[in-house]
Amino acid sequence: MNDAPNDRKQKPPIDAAMLGAYVDGELPESQRAAVQAHLEQDAGASACVSAWRAQKAALQALCGPADKASAPVIVLRPRASRLRRFALAACWLLTASGVGLLTGALSSHIGTTAGPAAFAHRADIAYAVYAPEARHPVEVASSEEPHLVAWLSKRLDRRLSAPSLQEYGYRLVGGRLLPGDDKGPAALFMYEDRMGTRLTLYITRASSNDSTVRLLRAGGRSTLYWVANRTGYALSGAIPEPKLRAIAVDVCSELGGKPQAWQ
Amino acid sequence: MTFEADVIAGLPPLRRYARALTGDAAWADDLVQDTAERALVRASAFRQGTNLRAWLFTILRNLYIDQYRARREIAFDDETAPWRTMEAPPREVDGLVLRDVQRALYHLPLEQREILLLVGVEEISYQEAATVLDVPIGTVMSRLSRAREHMRMLLGDEPSQKPTPLKVVRKTP
Repeated sequence: MNDAPNDRKQKPPIDAAMLGAYVDGELPESQRAAVQAHLEQDAGASACVSAWRAQKAALQALCGPADKASAPVIVLRPRASRLRRFALAACWLLTASGVGLLTGALSSHIGTTAGPAAFAHRADIAYAVYAPEARHPVEVASSEEPHLVAWLSKRLDRRLSAPSLQEYGYRLVGGRLLPGDDKGPAALFMYEDRMGTRLTLYITRASSNDSTVRLLRAGGRSTLYWVANRTGYALSGAIPEPKLRAIAVDVCSELGGKPQAWQ
Repeated sequence: MTFEADVIAGLPPLRRYARALTGDAAWADDLVQDTAERALVRASAFRQGTNLRAWLFTILRNLYIDQYRARREIAFDDETAPWRTMEAPPREVDGLVLRDVQRALYHLPLEQREILLLVGVEEISYQEAATVLDVPIGTVMSRLSRAREHMRMLLGDEPSQKPTPLKVVRKTP
C-alpha cells in the first residue's frame, strides 16, 4: 500500500469504509483529496457522506455533552491491604464531584449554558438536529418566502429577512420557529447547496449588544455568532471555517450589523 | 496528575456512553460505578503510557456484555424499554426528530450501536475502537459502515432501501 512510485496504479478503491473514514477524519491528506474529488462526481457517494455526517451530528445532539458537573461518587469497597489507597481515591472523587452526593444519586442534567454563548449553543443543537432531516427540515418552504418571513417576524416581534446566499451557491430551503429561551422564540432559516450541504441561520432576541463575532465548535460543526440591534444571529455549518466566516461577514452586513468591527 | 485523578477525569464521557448504550440511566450509573471501581482496584494492570481512555471503555464494555447476557430478556423495542422514559432531548429540539434517531439507535443490534456511539459520539479513533472492541481495524471500518447504512435505512433517508451501490472508480492517468 505504501509504494509511492506505483501510487497511481495502486490507489485504493473508494468504498463505503473509506467514505466512513472520510466522515470521521481518519484519512491521510492524500486520500482525503481523492475522496473529495470522487464525491463531486458521484451523487450517491455524496448523499451517503451527508447522511452519515447528519447521523453523527444527530447522535451527538441526542447524547448531549459529557457532563462534568455531575461526576458520580464512586464507592470503593475496601479490601484490607489497599484500604489507604482507596480512601485517598474516594477523597479525590468527593472533591471532583464538588458536593458529596449519595452513591448513585446522580442528578439528571439538561445542559444549560448560561452567558453569551447560550443562544449559540441552541443554534448549534438546532443545526445538528435539523440539518440532517430529509423529510421535514423546515416548517415553511422557501416557495412561500414572503409568508415565511412575515410569520417569523411577527413571532419574534422584529423585522426579519432571509439574506440571499446565492453567490456562495446556497439557496434558501425554508424556515421554522423554535422555542428559544424565556426571552422569546427563535427563527431558523435553512440553506442548502447543490451537494445537499446545509447551513442554518438562527435568529433570536438578545439583551446584550456585543457585536463581536465569536466561534463555537462542536462535533465537526462550527457556529459563528454575533449580536446586532438587540438581535442575536448564529450561522452554523459543517464547512471549512474561513468559508463560513466569509458568508457570516456578508450575512452580518446584509442584516444591518457591522462586520468591520470583527477584525 | 495521579492515576486516580485521570480515571475520574475520564468518567463523564464514560457515563454518557453508558447511558446511550444501555438506554437506561440506572443501569448506566451502575456500570460507571463498577468500571471506576474496577479501574482503581486494578490500577496495577494498567500499563503506563498506554491509552487510559480506551482501557476504561474496554472495562465498561466487558462489564456491559456480561450483564447484557444475564439480562437478555430486555427487548429494546419493547413498549416498556427504559430508553423510552429517558430524559427528553434538549429543549431546542421539538423532540420528534431526535425521537426517531433514538428509536433507530435502539433497533440496531448491540454490535452496531456500540460502534456508532464510540466513534460517532465519543469520537474515539479507529485504532482505539479496535482496542476497545478487540477486533482488527478493518472490522471496525466495515462494521461502522454497516451500522450507518442500517441506521440510514431505519431513518428512511435511504431512497433505495438497499445498501448504496458504491462504484469503484479508478483514475485512468
